[in-house]
Amino acid sequence: MGRKLIKHPGYTIILVLYLFFVVFPVLNSIWLTVTNGHFIEIVKTVGQDTILLLLKSSGLSAIIAIISTLAGIVLGFIIYKTPVRFGKIFKITILLPLFISPYILAVAWKDLLLLFFDKIYGINSFFAIVLIHSTIYIPLSILIIGSALVNVSRESEESALMIAGFKKMFFRILLPLIKPAILTSLVLVFIFSISEFSVPAYFGVRVFTTEIFTQFSAFYNYNLAMLQSTLLIIICILLLLSERKYIADSPFLSISTRGKSTKIYDFKNLNRLGLLILIFSLLVMIILPLLELIYQSFEKGTGQFTKAFNLLLPTFENSLFLAFIGAISTLIIGFVAAYFSEVYRKKNLDSLILFVFAVPSIVLGIALIKFYNRPFLSGIYSGFGIIIIGYIAKYGFISAKLMGNAIKQIPSSLNEVAKIQGIGSIKRISFITIPLILPAIFASFIINFLFCLGDLGTTIIVYPPGAEIMPIKIFTIMANAPESLTGSMVLIVFLFTILIILILFIIFKKIVVFYNVDY
Amino acid sequence: MKTMSILKYIIPVLIFFLLIFSGCKDDSNSLVVYTTVDQVFSEPVLKKFESLTGIKIKAVYDTEETKSTGVLNRLLAEKSNPQCDVFWSGDPMRTVVLENEGMLYPYISRSAKGINDEFKDKYHLWTGFSARARVLIYNKNLLKPEDIPQSIFDLVSEKYKGKVAIANPLFGTTTYHLAALFSVVGDERAKEFLKDLKNNKVVIATSNGDVKKRVIKAEVFCGLTDTDDAFEAIKEGENIGIVFLDRKGIGSLIIPNTVSLIKKKKISNNAKILMDFLLSKQTESELSYSCAQMPLHKGVKTAKNVPSLDKIKPMKIDYIATAKKLKGIQNYLKKWVEN
Repeated sequence: MGRKLIKHPGYTIILVLYLFFVVFPVLNSIWLTVTNGHFIEIVKTVGQDTILLLLKSSGLSAIIAIISTLAGIVLGFIIYKTPVRFGKIFKITILLPLFISPYILAVAWKDLLLLFFDKIYGINSFFAIVLIHSTIYIPLSILIIGSALVNVSRESEESALMIAGFKKMFFRILLPLIKPAILTSLVLVFIFSISEFSVPAYFGVRVFTTEIFTQFSAFYNYNLAMLQSTLLIIICILLLLSERKYIADSPFLSISTRGKSTKIYDFKNLNRLGLLILIFSLLVMIILPLLELIYQSFEKGTGQFTKAFNLLLPTFENSLFLAFIGAISTLIIGFVAAYFSEVYRKKNLDSLILFVFAVPSIVLGIALIKFYNRPFLSGIYSGFGIIIIGYIAKYGFISAKLMGNAIKQIPSSLNEVAKIQGIGSIKRISFITIPLILPAIFASFIINFLFCLGDLGTTIIVYPPGAEIMPIKIFTIMANAPESLTGSMVLIVFLFTILIILILFIIFKKIVVFYNVDY
Repeated sequence: MKTMSILKYIIPVLIFFLLIFSGCKDDSNSLVVYTTVDQVFSEPVLKKFESLTGIKIKAVYDTEETKSTGVLNRLLAEKSNPQCDVFWSGDPMRTVVLENEGMLYPYISRSAKGINDEFKDKYHLWTGFSARARVLIYNKNLLKPEDIPQSIFDLVSEKYKGKVAIANPLFGTTTYHLAALFSVVGDERAKEFLKDLKNNKVVIATSNGDVKKRVIKAEVFCGLTDTDDAFEAIKEGENIGIVFLDRKGIGSLIIPNTVSLIKKKKISNNAKILMDFLLSKQTESELSYSCAQMPLHKGVKTAKNVPSLDKIKPMKIDYIATAKKLKGIQNYLKKWVEN
């Protein structure tokens, strides 16, 4: 046998497919903007005002990122490092705001406040955006920081405690050890927040994304909107690259602890305070908006709830199918990118995934239309293929990140020994890597399944005519429907989401038993 | 073993292409319709068409979140290879954007004979039907009968300071309303009015639906919106009243729905059948019941609460000229909103 022409054919095929189906449409769109003949004129319109707006939006997102991360540290510590009662329930329930549309939360919160106050001074302001965005992104921070906290070496904490008090150990040992996770939380929340437009638009606050939206939707000035989006993409990529450089090989954002037992701090009576903080957080982040939705749904009887269910019923099958394919596809892409990045130091796919992740939803949607709306690609454009491509583009990064950090934690000796024994790469992946990162695979699948199930930003631009898809149905019905109907629809989706989490959890347990792995 | 190693690369690719071609189906008896009209109102009409003709409708609806501009953006992005056969717009403004882009195909529908020419494009690129009007809704608990504004220009009065809502004029029918105002009263007076309105701390809501909500919840005394939102407001809250403004002055803006064929290689006959159906008296009657829209045909059976167009003083405007005017004032409106 001579040398193989292509060293990793599987990786190369996925890389080429990703390049053609996902990256090329975005590059094509940027290229069309740059070469349209008016580019210089457009660049000139990006003046001081645009830069100031970008700074203002960055400031707002930075505040949200700091609040979310600080809350993530406190809540993550209580959930993951103290013997708080109902800890396992909190671990799941506190993540729920991640899967509710920011727009719905904004509407629910505003209605909720209006129930108690006649006049809401200041609700149409930065405060409202900070409140809603923090509510949504705190769970993400908890997930990232909590995972890092459980991975901190028990020995380091215990040795530190032998020579210093808890406070000193917390600030001098624990926090520095989870600094990479803190940085990731700050960067990711910042990016999510600066790219989100529905909440600032709802509260009438002008930020950079609403400006992009205005150029798209009021002025139909694609080129300027595209150029502004490119500025946003550059900022996001720079942040992600610096985060990547800083964290180097630090392991975090994984779900399992690989058998290590994490140090648990029993504060005796203070544990109750932790419980109270968690209950309060859950109340603010999920229970209050949920109660408002329940109130709206059943204020005038159960009729609207039944109507909402009948309206959503035809969407369940398509939505589940799309979310399943979306989650599987992102899982495969994410795994391939993460595996080759960590094991073989091949970072091309990983970097492309990062680039596409930074593209705002509406820009991605328009880019996909401009690329795929051609006769020879109509199979993709008029079917569900384009939605799946949108999902892969938006959520591949989450899979790659989750699994990359899980793979990092597998001792390289395991793979090396197997390799020396002559075990092939497929077998090594199937019997060593996959079982060891099973929780990360599960987490990646479930998170992306739920994100795909609720995706609106890109899907609304590209969904095939006549297709019944859950979030699209809610948001198209929402215009001019009574709030009891929309409240009921959101409530049904919420219950549906919880049901799916439970089903997937049961399936995961079965898989764990099948692999006979102790987690 | 060799087969396994080949399969491991081929299977994902096969799955992918299976997905890709899942969209290739026989579409000979179907029609693609894009509409900016709220789904709760447009879907029943399209369903009825399906049941009457057996022609399958594949619809794309718009969302409140994207301020009903998602569909138009999609149409523009698809310009080189249009997917849509029929565009049903809630107002002429968006249709004129497509007309200016050369994306419409002329059609003279026999159903539109009874519709006045002022609601039709002179090149037959679009035809208007069932109209809404811009109205003022007010909260009866907050305004005494003698305090109810009767003219749009009353809204700048001190007594309504901070208590009037309008939707963001960069989007939707509010844009068109202001463009019409500029056309009718002239730039100078319109700008003066907007300046006074801003000084009077007008509340800029995200949409007409948001205006409706703020009035129902007594956040403001009154707000400008469309008749369909106004009648929905009455359904939702008994404390809501409606005023057709400027009956003795410039009149109320009448906004017809428009329907048009999208220019593509092959114009489907089904698309013309749908156009005829939408422009029929029957559809106008249904829209009057479902969303209080006013028929443009004479002698259409309407819901009790729907006023006849004959009884409203319409604002005298040219729809295409107003759409052009809009383009000229957009930057001004943007600055007005932002400052």
